[in-house]
Amino acid sequence: MKSFEGDFYKLLALLRGHKPFAFNRFSDGELYILQNKELILDADQVKVGENITEGIYKTEDFKRFHPEEHSFYRDRLVDAFKFTKRNYFNGLSCRCCVGDENFQWQLDFHGEYDENFTWANLLVNGNYPKFIHEMYPVFYEYPTVFVCNEKADLSVLPFLVKDFRVGYNAMVQDYGLIEVIRSWISENNVEGHLFLFSASSFSKIAIHQLYDYCDRNTYIDVGTTLNPFMDMRIDRTYLKSFWLGERGKDINKICIW
Amino acid sequence: MIKIVSGFSIPIGPTIALVNLCNQLNGKEHHCILYGPDNWHMDKCKSAKINEFHPESGDIIIVHNIALFSVTELYHLQNKIEELRKKHISNIFKCIFSKHMHWLRKHDDIKIVLSCQENDLFPIRRLNYTMFDKIHYVHSWQVNYHKLKHDHFVCPNFCNPLRASEHKPGKVAGIIGSIRQENQTDLSIEKALWDGMETVILYGYLKDPVYYYKKIVPLVKKYPGKIKYAGFIDDKQTVYDSISDVYCTVCKPWSFVKKECLMTSTRYHGPDISAMPEESLTNHQIVNIWEKELNL
Repeated sequence: MKSFEGDFYKLLALLRGHKPFAFNRFSDGELYILQNKELILDADQVKVGENITEGIYKTEDFKRFHPEEHSFYRDRLVDAFKFTKRNYFNGLSCRCCVGDENFQWQLDFHGEYDENFTWANLLVNGNYPKFIHEMYPVFYEYPTVFVCNEKADLSVLPFLVKDFRVGYNAMVQDYGLIEVIRSWISENNVEGHLFLFSASSFSKIAIHQLYDYCDRNTYIDVGTTLNPFMDMRIDRTYLKSFWLGERGKDINKICIW
Repeated sequence: MIKIVSGFSIPIGPTIALVNLCNQLNGKEHHCILYGPDNWHMDKCKSAKINEFHPESGDIIIVHNIALFSVTELYHLQNKIEELRKKHISNIFKCIFSKHMHWLRKHDDIKIVLSCQENDLFPIRRLNYTMFDKIHYVHSWQVNYHKLKHDHFVCPNFCNPLRASEHKPGKVAGIIGSIRQENQTDLSIEKALWDGMETVILYGYLKDPVYYYKKIVPLVKKYPGKIKYAGFIDDKQTVYDSISDVYCTVCKPWSFVKKECLMTSTRYHGPDISAMPEESLTNHQIVNIWEKELNL
């Protein structure tokens, strides 16, 4: 029986055992791009397809996807979504967060059920305390590389050996960085490393291509989970509950399949 | 069967002590199992989740950090722990009324020992401690602190072997222990930086994230690039190999940090605690005490 907690411990066991894997996450933003809907996230507006609401985003979270202009990048995201390989874990947006229809859309779009499907929210919500208490300390066992926003302060993380930075709308603006990382892996014979990604949709494409290129490293999309250690904003509800003690349901939420 | 039950099994000092106790007792062919509500202990010793715990006739039960007020509660331990974690107000009343209710102490065929690994974080005086056959203290300092007239024994925790590191870094301070207000982690950080340490690494379970965000994050900003957070690291040798000094603010006479600093040639900066005889006991002597006290 698939369980939110069980899948978390499955990945943790791989990490502890130094068995390389990739954990990729396709959250609602990526879902809309996969659905080829226009997406604008900025300070003035949030546009998803034809729906426009008030903008709430800060510069580092700005995203703009136009189906015609950015079709190349959407195709790469589709590649990442449809990719299957041993220990490549594909985190989908769950039905409790995006609704039955969207959840089913992902399964249909993928085409076949992959036993490595898991939750995009696997490291957040009800699993977040476990992530901080049990998974984060294991990073210390690895030479770790972080791919994240140029504004992030990484000085608190004691396990880093290298970082690569992206700007806003990185999927489009920084696509070339994937080749830079691939070359770095190749030239330095990088194996047994842990790569953490906190770079929005760029992470998904990079994780796919890098794991496909070298599956002797581990690649994890950590999303916003480490923001409190990076002097980045903690405006997500699960972060506010955990770090500020604010009331909120997400920190206890056990996502369903 | 010896059954150790704990109100938590997260990676902090008391859990490590109970894991070691379980392993040492099993090493001497006494069947022992550690039950806890969390997951960390599960691959560290013979263990199970708390919902699998059932007292049976002939059992010796070592209880840690569970505010029990009757033996009956041992049969519903998972519910009890969940209730305690919610800090239910009824527990306060139960504590007040139960400590004088000696009739609740009916367990002729099982032996119950309370293992006390804390002071003010688990004030025994407020409990119905008479339901326990004995109280185990890890340091004689606790006997004076709790001041209870009840059968007890003092036996320190087992200490894992460590060696002096060959290549110590310079001016790297470690702060070892869970991150919480009670441990005054923020004061230890400031002390280390005032002493000229170039880097401070926090090695400990993040017990209180709100405290971290309120007290430690401002220090991270005040001293850019100097403070790092590692979390709880299983391998203590790795921890001591990475630091030159240890800073500690709160006095915990039973803590092994000072002893471990001595073993690893790490400079210790913390409360100067006068040594007690039990601190020099070997692991072999410690297990002998347990065998004697549990009539094994």
